[in-house]
Formats: sequence, C-alpha cells, structure tokens
Amino acid sequence: MTRKSADHLAHFALTIISKDRPGIVADTSEVLYRLGCNIADSSCTMLGGDFAMILIVTHEKPFSKARLADEFRALQERTGLAVHLRTLHDDELSPVDDAGELCLISVYGSDQPGIVYRVTRALADHKVNITDLNTRLIGTKEEPVYVLMLEAILPAGMSVDSTAAMMEPLRKELNVEIGVRAITPVSL
Amino acid sequence: MPVQKILTFPHPLLKKRAHLIARVDEHIRGLIEDLVDTMRAGPGSVGVAAPQIGVSLAACVVDVSNNRHGKENNHGLLIMLNPEIVAADGSAVMREGCMSVPDYTGEVERATAVTVKYLNLHGEQQTVAASGFEAVAIQHELDHLDGILFLDRIVSLKTGLFRRKNYQ
Repeated sequence: MTRKSADHLAHFALTIISKDRPGIVADTSEVLYRLGCNIADSSCTMLGGDFAMILIVTHEKPFSKARLADEFRALQERTGLAVHLRTLHDDELSPVDDAGELCLISVYGSDQPGIVYRVTRALADHKVNITDLNTRLIGTKEEPVYVLMLEAILPAGMSVDSTAAMMEPLRKELNVEIGVRAITPVSL
Repeated sequence: MPVQKILTFPHPLLKKRAHLIARVDEHIRGLIEDLVDTMRAGPGSVGVAAPQIGVSLAACVVDVSNNRHGKENNHGLLIMLNPEIVAADGSAVMREGCMSVPDYTGEVERATAVTVKYLNLHGEQQTVAASGFEAVAIQHELDHLDGILFLDRIVSLKTGLFRRKNYQ
C-alpha cells in the first residue's frame, strides 16, 4: 500500500465472509489490486467453518463505491462469498487516541448465557475501551467451557489492579475465572 | 553531534550486519555520546544501536533504570562495543515496539536472562549478566547490530493462541 495524505483518498469498510477454502484472500485482494485499491488495515480470521475478512480499503479520489460494489457482486456470484461494503467518514479514519494502560482480560468458565454481555457491560460502564476480542466455546458436550479473551485500554487513572477488583463481584456471581494482565507494549 | 535522527525501515542500514569496531578512538567515543543523547531524547527509549542513527558499527547503549519494567533490576547505563551474547536462559513473550518501526508492535519471544560480553569505552573486555527487562532490551539492541528487526522475530498474531488445533 502506498501512503498519501488521507484527503486524496476515499475510504471503505469491506467485510467478506465465506465458507472456508484456500483462496478467499487471494480472490479478494486480486479484485482490489486490479481496481487500484489499497488495503490500509485489515483483520481476517477463521470463525467456525467460515473465513471472515474485515478490511479498510482506500482508493485515490475520485472513486465511486459503486465500482467497488460491482466488482464484488461479480465475485459474490462466482464464488458465493458474502460481501458488505460501507463508505467511511473522515472521523472514522484514525483510532481513538487513548493513552491508558493496555491490558488483556481473560474470562473462562462453565458455559452460560451472558458471559460476554456481563463482562463487556461492566467494562463499558467504567469507560474501558475494548480494542480486540475473541471468544470460543471449548470443552465437551457434557461440560462446555466458554473462553473470552479481550484486549482493552483502561481510562486514565484506572489500573490493572483496580480493574481486577472491579470485576471481582462478577467473577463470583458468574463463577468464572477472570484475569487482568498489563500488556502495554515496551518501546525499545 | 548530540541527538541524532532515528532511521526508520525501509532504510537499508537497518537490515545490514554492523561492522566490528577495530579500535576505540575519539570517533567511537563521539558515536557513543550520540547514542546516549539520542536514547535520552527518545520518549521512553531504553536503548539505541548505532545502525539506528546511520552508523554501521557494532555499538549500542542500553539503560532500563528509568523504565517501570527495569527500574528494580538493572546495571544502569550499559555502553557496549562489539557485544556478543555468550549465554542465554529462559524464555518469555513481550509485546515490543521499536523507534525504527513506528506504529507497530508485536509479540516477541526473548531469553529472560543473558550473559553478554563486550568492550567498554576503554577497550576493556566486560561481562554482564542481565535478566528481566534489561535482558530483553539487550537482545533487542544486539539484534539491530545483526540487521534483525523485531518484525523478524514475531512469534504469533496476538489472537493466534486460539487458532491452533494442533499444539506442538
């Protein structure tokens, strides 16, 4: 990808989900390459039997969303993947600048409804900003275990210890393990 | 020449092995001064290697004494010429960033303790046994002298932990 002033670029959020097979990324990036689009930011992973791609795509202005949509409609018809496309606004182009501690919060225990909701609601109520999250159902049919791992930026003044203390009542109520660890990158 | 500009990738010097220093002279002492000044000027910087300021010589400085991870366990300012790790033990993963690779961080596995041999500014052979964050910083800076960036050592995508069905 080439870097230029964002003013000259149209930004789009592109989401693609497909039954997993080799070649999904190649098919997608081929379309983008032929159109002259850049992949500015992306996160792609396997979820269940699907492969999910979320990409921020840019193109020199002028460029119409319709052109991108047309190309992906053709790919959709050819390969059956599901595509969603959205134009990004200027205030969505760079991440919210949070200077607080980055921490990893691990939650795991017997599967039950509401683990994700209760944990993330508690965090949101304390202005903790989630930057990454993934979940997985593991264990056996008889004893399903739910694992939630997330990374989040703590607001100014909030420490790893105070976050752990804040989660303690929830840990007891849901009877799950909750760990909070600092993972703020070290600058070398 | 005090604070120097930190080169960023793709500057070719960052991927080149630095030359060994044959003689410690005024030139080398000036280089070390620049390295220390540049390290002190960098926000939160705990080390700088000569290739990062455009000099392909095997010299680096490390000082983790002002860092929260290193303040309890350090040797203060380490000035290392022709450094070489002669023993390493343990392993731990830390998320590293580097002034030469802005806007990116990644999980890197490093030894938790290293013994490093080097020449000091008087050309005398020294040996230091470092552990914890200081050991991580030393390994990161010595990598620069070999043309290795932390990007070459990233061990996992941060979400990789759950993707593996087959553990090795």
